[in-house]
Amino acid sequence: MAATRPASPDVREALSRALVDHGDRLYALALRVTRDPDLAADALQDAFATALERAADFRGEASLGTWLHRIVYNKAIDLLRRRGKEAALPDEESIVIGPDDDRLSQSPSWSRPPDEILLGAETVAALERAVLELTPMQRMVFEMREVEGRTTDEVAEILDIPSGTVRVHLHRARLRLRALLSDHFRKARA
Amino acid sequence: MKCDELYRRLTDRADGVLDADACAAVDQHLQDCASCGALRRDLEDLSRLCRESQRPRMPDDVRRRIEALLRTAPV
Repeated sequence: MAATRPASPDVREALSRALVDHGDRLYALALRVTRDPDLAADALQDAFATALERAADFRGEASLGTWLHRIVYNKAIDLLRRRGKEAALPDEESIVIGPDDDRLSQSPSWSRPPDEILLGAETVAALERAVLELTPMQRMVFEMREVEGRTTDEVAEILDIPSGTVRVHLHRARLRLRALLSDHFRKARA
Repeated sequence: MKCDELYRRLTDRADGVLDADACAAVDQHLQDCASCGALRRDLEDLSRLCRESQRPRMPDDVRRRIEALLRTAPV
């Protein structure tokens, strides 16, 4: 086993700053993958430990924040696998929504509801439930793009998939959420 | 352009990866097709709802654990 040595003060300082700047987003990512606060916390702690160990590997091609997101994502996936939870997640290919999908074609178009309805607690709760119906990859892509406001290229880098694949997952996620939320919005307007 | 193609291209359009002709075709279809125009408005509302919803915050105890790790852990 290789001997350990203290991380340089610069590395510790940079990671401490990243914890302040990106901590909530990193936690949200871990929670999104694991759907378990304890696992999310473990993933985050493992990720920062790994970042300390591998600081020399960080070349600066990506931002430190993006690099950390990728480590957190991988740690969260590893934890899920180790705890045998991955099998419980829906199969990525089992859910395909297209224009011919019944849920989509039967979805009424809702007119633009007023903000107080659109952003009401009930609507937000419905959105949270609907997001859980997405496949893991759809959920990850959708929330990184739509909630965190990351670019497609940033999401692709974090998840290590092509940008075109990110757009496909995002497209499917949006259509599925629209279908899942349509009844709720219709009631909100009534 | 048919509606199913429009569905696929809306995200590409928003990401700026379509050429000018393709963008024009998407925009024209959105003007001409009430159903797809409604879809776009719905997706815009969905985006707005997501942006303005509250995000989870890292619990304080988790933050403290990581701060301690960064101060003391050897590598």
